[in-house]
Amino acid sequence: MKISIGCDHIVTDIKNHIVEYLEAKGHEVIDNGTYDHIRTHYPIYGKKTAERVINKEADLGIVICGTGVGITTSVNKIKGIRAALVRDITTAKYSKEELNANIIGIGGRITGIGLMEEIIDTFISTEYKETEENKELIKSIDNMIEDDSYINDEHLFDDLLEKWDRGYYHD
Amino acid sequence: MKVIIGSDVKGFKLKEHLIKFLNSKDYKVVDVSPDPNLNFVESAKLVSEEVLKEEDNFGIVIDEYGAGSFMVANKIKGIICAEVSDEHSAHMTKEHNNTKIISLGSGIIGKTLAENIVMNFLNNEYSGGRHQIRIDMLNRLA
Repeated sequence: MKISIGCDHIVTDIKNHIVEYLEAKGHEVIDNGTYDHIRTHYPIYGKKTAERVINKEADLGIVICGTGVGITTSVNKIKGIRAALVRDITTAKYSKEELNANIIGIGGRITGIGLMEEIIDTFISTEYKETEENKELIKSIDNMIEDDSYINDEHLFDDLLEKWDRGYYHD
Repeated sequence: MKVIIGSDVKGFKLKEHLIKFLNSKDYKVVDVSPDPNLNFVESAKLVSEEVLKEEDNFGIVIDEYGAGSFMVANKIKGIICAEVSDEHSAHMTKEHNNTKIISLGSGIIGKTLAENIVMNFLNNEYSGGRHQIRIDMLNRLA
């Protein structure tokens, strides 16, 4: 399978481990970054990871940040993405089987490597079981976002990053 | 601060439990799903819409796994929703992600853990600063 993956700077080493793990299992992985531990912003990598799925360059996506919340929220804010943030295999299975989730989110500082690997294996191998009821729910979720003009816009965050560089955002 | 709470049919019992718990701690609680037969799309939308009415509102959405409500709430502009099943995530996400709503799975967590997650969420503050650029980025999406 083709898997799109993205992370923030807190968990790059964990993302690298998952990339190796997936490649060893014969999957093709598109690594959207970030690639080092230099401070950056999770929506950049969430958006890139999601776009590979939306553009059908990848079958499924995986996103990881510290708690998983920031990056998984960012992908859910993109039309056509249904992402679950999980710390257990049960929810990973449910989200694919019932909601046909196309991205799975994990907290790199929350979940251990063994559980993470099994969550990902389960997410990839579980098949969506369509029913009239879940089809309607999925349709309702997908119809919630009307404006999708930001998809594939590489300059969407440029002005914010400029403000960051100018020191506008500081602790 | 008001706590807006809602659930689908599978989350109804945990919602009732958390309402009692929050009332005993003197929180102002608004139950937007007294009807026990909603689906998670309906209940998560109701909570999100109510949360957006005031700056100081925070929300709790409950279904069996927490995943469906999480997807729905995050599709709404201005909402940042966290699907959590541990206490650490509950306060980290409030501090770093400016989280407005937490999503809980009634089939995933027990009552005591649910109570402690809720307290960790409500009793911490967003820290702003460098985190705000990420929130501004999320608002560029949906």
